[in-house]
Order: sequence, then C-alpha cells, then structure tokens
Amino acid sequence: MNSSTLRSATLREQLTRGLPRDKSDTLLLIGACVLVMMPHAWHLPAWATLAASALLLWRGWITFHGKRMPTRWLLLPVVALLMLGVYNSYRTFLGREAGVCMLVLLLALKLLEMRARRDLFVVTFLSFFVLLTNFFYSQTIATALLAAAGVIAILTAQISFQYTGIHPPLRERVGMALRIFLLGVPLTLVLFLFFPRIQGPLWGMPGDAAGSRTGLSDSMEPGNISELVLSPEIAFRVRFIDAAPPTSALYWRGPVLGNYDGRRWTPLTRTTVPPSRQVVRLSRPLRYQVTQEPSGQHSLFALDLAATVPRLEHNPVRLQPDFQMIARQAINERVRYDVASSLDYKLQADEPALALRDWTDLPAGFNPRTYEYASRLRAQATSDLELVNAVLQMFRTQNFSYTLRPPRLGRHAVDDFLFSTRAGFCEHYAGAFVVLMRILDIPARVVTGYQGGELNKIDGYLTVRQSDAHAWAEVWLAGRGWVRVDPTTAVAPDRVERNLASALPRSAISGLLALEGADGPWLAILQKLRDNRDAINNAWNQWVLDYTPARQRGFLQSLGIDDPDWGTLTMLVLTLGAAVTVLVGLPLLRNRQKVDQVEALYRSLCSELARQGLPRAPHEGPLAYRVRLREAPLPPARRAAVLDFLELYEVLRYGTSDMLSDKAVAAPLSQLKSLLAQCR
Amino acid sequence: MRVIQTESLRGVTARWLFRPHGAEGGEVVLGQRRVFILPTRAGMGFAALLMLLFIGSINYNLSMGYVLTFVLAGCALIAMHLTFRNLAYLHLAPGRANPVHAGEEAQFELHLSNRRRYSRYAVWLGFMGDGLPAREQAFDIPAQGVCPVLLQAPTSRRGWLAAPRIRLHTSFPLGLLRAWSYWQPELKVLVYPHPEEHAPPLPATDAPQSEDHGAGGQDDFAGVRAYQAGDSMKRLAWRQIARLGNDGALVSKHFEGGAASELRLDFSMLPEAMDVEARLSRMTRWIIEAEARGLPYAFRLADVSYPAGIGGAHREACLRALALYGKQP
Repeated sequence: MNSSTLRSATLREQLTRGLPRDKSDTLLLIGACVLVMMPHAWHLPAWATLAASALLLWRGWITFHGKRMPTRWLLLPVVALLMLGVYNSYRTFLGREAGVCMLVLLLALKLLEMRARRDLFVVTFLSFFVLLTNFFYSQTIATALLAAAGVIAILTAQISFQYTGIHPPLRERVGMALRIFLLGVPLTLVLFLFFPRIQGPLWGMPGDAAGSRTGLSDSMEPGNISELVLSPEIAFRVRFIDAAPPTSALYWRGPVLGNYDGRRWTPLTRTTVPPSRQVVRLSRPLRYQVTQEPSGQHSLFALDLAATVPRLEHNPVRLQPDFQMIARQAINERVRYDVASSLDYKLQADEPALALRDWTDLPAGFNPRTYEYASRLRAQATSDLELVNAVLQMFRTQNFSYTLRPPRLGRHAVDDFLFSTRAGFCEHYAGAFVVLMRILDIPARVVTGYQGGELNKIDGYLTVRQSDAHAWAEVWLAGRGWVRVDPTTAVAPDRVERNLASALPRSAISGLLALEGADGPWLAILQKLRDNRDAINNAWNQWVLDYTPARQRGFLQSLGIDDPDWGTLTMLVLTLGAAVTVLVGLPLLRNRQKVDQVEALYRSLCSELARQGLPRAPHEGPLAYRVRLREAPLPPARRAAVLDFLELYEVLRYGTSDMLSDKAVAAPLSQLKSLLAQCR
Repeated sequence: MRVIQTESLRGVTARWLFRPHGAEGGEVVLGQRRVFILPTRAGMGFAALLMLLFIGSINYNLSMGYVLTFVLAGCALIAMHLTFRNLAYLHLAPGRANPVHAGEEAQFELHLSNRRRYSRYAVWLGFMGDGLPAREQAFDIPAQGVCPVLLQAPTSRRGWLAAPRIRLHTSFPLGLLRAWSYWQPELKVLVYPHPEEHAPPLPATDAPQSEDHGAGGQDDFAGVRAYQAGDSMKRLAWRQIARLGNDGALVSKHFEGGAASELRLDFSMLPEAMDVEARLSRMTRWIIEAEARGLPYAFRLADVSYPAGIGGAHREACLRALALYGKQP
C-alpha cells in the first residue's frame, strides 16, 4: 500500500468513523445546504456562486480541522462586500432576483455564524426558503426530485442534532428522515388537492416579469417564422372534448396582420369604419381545452373560427373583429382555457365595401413587376375566385420550392420572390399572395398561427409545437366573406396533410431530429419514447403545475361538489386531513405484538372456556388451570379435549419434542386446532 | 395583585389539566391521556415559516411551492406523532433508594422500560419542584429494553423524603414539538441525621465488664484470623493478604483485651440543654465513629434500645431510629 492510498484510507476512516459527532453533524448540515444551493449556480452571477462556494468551503475547513469560528469583526466586512456586490449586479436590493441572491449568500454566511442551538433552526429554515426560490426558475420533475432530496437531507441534518446519547449511523438517520417524508406524502396530497387556493399575486413583483419567451409575435417579416419552426418547444396542448378534426382542418388562428410596409406585416390598428362581427356558423361548435405555454405575447389560440371567448382568471380576453383572441396581460404563465370553434362558417359576408377598403392598402413604390403581372392576370380572369385560383395555379405549376433557408430578398421583396428566387417558407407565400390579391383589389390579409399538431397516443393530447408555426392568407369574396387560402399547400401539400418535416427536403432538416416524422422502425421507437416523455410531462403540468383555483373548482365539481365555498372547502380539507392523519398515525402509535400461533390458540381456548363459565384466573398457569378443570362441570368428551389441549400446550411451550405423542409430533398445530374445535 | 391572580389561575389550570395525583405505586404506563404535546419555540418558528412559504407560493403562483409547503406541513404532523410516541407508552417503575445523611444527595433509582419495537432517543428526566436544581438528564431507551436511571435530589432534613415529582419530556426527532408528562413515583428515601462535625470523642465506657475468654478487644494485637463477614475494612491485615498471594483469601487482624468494656450511646446521657437535632446529630457521628473504629456499641434512644453490636444491620437500625425520632415511623 503506497502512501497516497494510505492517506486516503485514513481520510475515509476519519470521515466515516473518526469524526467526532458534532463535526459530522455540522458537515452533514453543510452538505444539505450545498444540495439546496446548488441549482442556483445556473442563474446567480458568477461572483455570487464563487462567494457562496468559498464561504461553504471555509466553513467546511473550520469544521474539519476544528478551527475557531470567525469573529463578527471579520465577518462584517465580508457581509458589506457581498451586499455591495449584490447592489452592483442588480442595482437594487428589492425584487426577486436580488432577493434570491441575498438569500443564498445569507444562508452561506449563517453557517459561518452558527453558534447556539437556535441557529440550527435558522439555518434549516433558511434552507427551506432557498429550496422554494429554486422553483422560480424551474418546476420540472427533475427539479422536484432534487428538491425532495434536499428536504430529506435537511431533515436528516436536523434529526442528527437532536440525539443526546446514542448517535445511530447515518444510514439509520437518513432512513428516519425518509420515513418522515414518505409518511407526510398522503397528507401533502390531500392538502394540495383540497386546500382552498387563492389566485396570486397578492402584491406586485418588481422586475418579476418573465424573460424572453418563444412564441409567435404579432408581426411578420421574412425569416421570423422560419426561425421559430426550428424550435421543438411546445406552444400549447389541446384536449378535444368532441371528436378531433382531421389535421388539414387544424388551423390555429393567431395574430391577423393587415398592415404592410413593404417588408413587415403588422396588425391593422385603425379601421375607417367599425367592422361588424357578423358570422354565420354552419357547423356545431367543436369543444376543446387548450393549455398554453407562456409566450410573453397576448395572443390566445383557437381553431378557425372561435365560437366562444375563453376566460382567464384576472386577465380579460377580448375577441377582435378579425377573430383574433387577445388577453389584456401578456401570457407569462401557463394558462388553460376552454374554447369552442365552428369549423364551417361565413365570416362578415355582408361587409360594406367601405369597411373592406383597409384590407386592400399597399405602400406605394414597391414591386413594379408584380403590379405588371397582376394586370395581366386581371385581364384574363372574370371573377375574384378565378384570380385566387390562378395565383395558386402559378405557385403550383411554376418551379416554386419550399425551404427553410430562402435566399435573401431585396427592396422589392415580392418581385424578387415571385420572379427570381422562387424559394421560400410559408411566410413568403402568404405574404406574396396577399400582396398580389391586394394589387388585384381583392381584400386580403395574412393570418399567422399554428397548423396541425401531433396527437399523443398515450394520453390523447394534441401537442402543438413552435415548429408548427404557420402563416396563411384570407381573402374576402363577395357572398362568402373571408375565406382561408393557404398558398403553401399549393407548393408543399404535405405541409398541411402531414407535417413540416415531411414537406421539407431531407437536407433542410438534417440535425433536426425532433422534427422527424415517423419513418422507419427506429424513428417509430423514438417517436414512442417522445410520446411517453411528453405524456408524463403533460400530466405533471396538468396536475401539479397548473393546479390553479379554477382547476381545483373543476376537480371538485368532478367529485360532485358544485361551487364549493370557503367553509365547505375548509371542512373538507379538515375532514380528509384528519382521516389521512389517523390512517398514517395509528400504525405508528399502535402496538402490534406478534403472537405466535400456539399462544393464539391458547388464548382462544381460554376465552372459549370463559364463555362457558370457566374463566382462567389471572394467576393460574396452564397446569394449575388444568388441575382445576379436571373437576369442572363439563361434558366428559369436551372435558377430555380441554385437558388434552392444555397438556399438549404445556408440552409445546415448556417441554421437549420427545414428550409429544406420535400424532402431535407430525403436526402439533393442527392437533391443537382440532382439540380446540372439540372444546366448542 | 394581577400577578398573583394569573399565578393562581395558572395553578388552577395546571391542576385541572395535569391532574397531579398522589404518588403512584408500582409500575406506571404513560398512557395517551398523560402525555401532553405542544410546539417548541422552534416549532412556532416552523409554523411561521410555513405561512411565509405559503404566501410566497400564492404570490408567485408556484405550484411546486405549494407542494413544498404541504410536504413540510405533513412532515411536521408526522414528527408530532413520532415525538408523542417517543414518550408515550413508556413503562416507569421505581427502583431502590439507599438511605443518606441529611445534606447529602439522595439517589433515586428508577427503571424506564420500553416495551415497544422502536428505540426511544433523547428522553429528558428531572425532578421538578421548588428549591430543586433544574438538572435534567437525557436517556436513550432501546427497543424492548430497560434503562436504569439515577436521579439526585438534595436532602436537608432527617426523616422520610418522598421522591419529588418527575417531569419527563422529549422533542425528538425534529425538535419542533415537545411532549411531556409527569410522574410521582411511590418512592421514598430515609434520611439519617447529619453527622455532627467536630463532635467530641466517643463517650468513655462506664463500668468495666467481666472479661470473657476470647472476647474480641480493641487494644492488643493478638494475631490474624480468616476474614469473617462483618469485619471492618480497617482490620484487614493487608500485609498478610499480600503475602498469601492471589488466591483471594482475606485475613483480618485480631485484637484482644483492652477496652473489652461496652460502648454505650445513650441519647438521654447527652446534656438536656442541647437542641434535639444537635443531640441526634452527635449520636449519628458517634455511630459512624464507632463503626469506623470497629467498636461494638449499645444504643438507646427514648424507648428504643439495642444491645451492643456492630455491623451493617445494627448500624442501620440505630440510624433509622435516630432519623425517625419524634416522627411517624
């Protein structure tokens, strides 16, 4: 054995056995704190992570080598320096981010200032706080598991400090903490489901607004949708209450854009006359529920065309005349809403020409070749519908291609696209189509949103990802109102029939495995795995992260408790909580003495005889009892059985096997049982 | 005035709640009704922490925050059960209590037995009462095991001293809750009078007794003989024992002649002017002295009279008579 292994062996020995109890307890506490603070390393400023690590190392070194704790005079400048750092990083001491940073540093400092027993509780309570602040940044299943480990570690440390004499090995202490944790789970479940929920926030949160999120913005210029479709992130999930429509009908309407500046499409903000909201629904509304991920935008999504306006808690939603759904506050949290849509409809069919004028506006001085082309088209066609079809025919027959990486376009973007590059993404096709229509004096607009979605076979949810982002057009035709036209289908029919991945050439998506459709056996397996993971994540989102007051009401309604008020809910949570506590607590308090079978049989004989009026006196042993029973007024056969039983019991209990009769040796228990039966 | 009122109110509440009954003979089980439980200060802090976590979860809409809050609440509730059962269903039995002299610490032996299949840790035990030092000791009682406990209480007066009321408490495992109970064991200790310090020497023997052959005396060394039970330690012939080797045989020195006369310790012979307690105190000292020197002594105290003797039983009888003089036996 060389010296290094020797050294490591002694170190290990010191760690496992040699460390005095208070040292090992303190190291355990430091370890628990490390576990709790670790996830914060991802988002704290680097200096704060380093400072906290240094403080923890310092504390560990002090403990390990039995050095003295630093004095207050040494700690004060450190505290001042750290506070200065916090101010320097955040320019404030208020707000969430600065608060979290200070909390983490405070915990590390408190460990260096832990003197009295009271301080132990301060440290553990602070750790629980730090654990909570982790959830500001992540609430995934992995985070939850890490937090559970943190709770168990803190409990173990707390338990370790409570022993006075015997100090059981770490394994046992962890076991006890684990037991407390697991036994607490049923009550957690009851409280989580039934504790009356309040919709937050209770007060404003400075600087708490969500950071940048991915999502469809309310403007469109070449490139921003094709950027979005590279993201496999989930936009929203849909659960159909009625039968799910075919994929080709899944147009999720988002921002409607009617204002064009030659490059960028934005919503039409001002209209000359107030538009009507006239709509004729030709099919029964289809009901479904959307769970939308935070987007940082105001749009909600519904199938063309929404028949109801969804409701969000404390965030009014309005339906615009162009049937876009806008929430007053940006969607910075996951929201869930119920919507219904009529897939077959007539929108604003009787709109006066004046109101449609806004939808034919174009900036002057752009795209001269397109104007030229449009006048040629106009000469050939007789109706608007024919013009629409002619343009689609052009896309279909001329060599237009569908690609995620289109060449750059110049100042006359539509000219360049239609007549030279001829390669583009849905935004190019939709944009060019609308421009062409407007030149032809047909009211037209760009509609952005999502198209399609992926049905998860595990849980039946339809998942719509950012990669399903799409742009299409709407034209107004006399007598039919606004009609959806998707010029992309003319170029890449698969885009709508199947999905984006199948519509794009292979080379365009190399390295984008997440977008891959179900091709080949291993892709099918991959798909299945992804379905499973998505289903688990979705269940987690639906049941844990989205358990809002509204959801709680829904859950209670499904249990048959309609419109519960506070009183009912409080009673319910108290009753259920008490029931669960009794269920969990009773086994802890009850004393289960193991009675062996021979003893149990003896006891039942005694109670049987007591029933027959011959109870065994408390001081009597089986032998004395037997002597007394010899003269007892019992039928002779039963008396013989009782006496045999007691004799056999005596031998089984106190004798040796050679004292047993042949019959009893083989099966003493069954012999006892049959004798007991004869005593009845 | 108010202070007195609240004090008495508290006393009444405590009496009603904790029902201090008289001493309980034999083994006592701490049943559910006898064990009380309340949060400690740390427990109150924990409740405040839960409130804060809850408010934070509401404010930031943290579902996982709710889960954490409720998990911790669940853990506290389980800890309550564990703390309770760490004390409840404990079997308590009084043990022995050896007599002591007034002014010494009385040692009360108690047996805590745990018939459950889980170990109990950090159970604190201590006497409670006015004038008793707040000394508490912690004990661990293994599963289905017994833990002997020795509790000390100071003594000041001779006579019987009943064991003070005992308070048992524990806040294991999390320190958030404290379960406690009271027990008045039926256990008393006999307190002998305090031996007088700087007492005059043993009284002179009165009349010389007829000399019997072989009667043990005090003065003249007459050789050694085999050790007999009751021989004073001071009479062991250490040199001879050492020489005999390590076969364990003890020998004691044997004296003859000299003061073969009887030493009589008679209460009535002490001056009347002395305080009764002082006289008892002197008698006590003399008994100790006589025992130490191996002098047999006769004893008389009022109507109690013992012939000359020496050794444990005699000594205890005499001291007991002194301890209980003028008191209920």
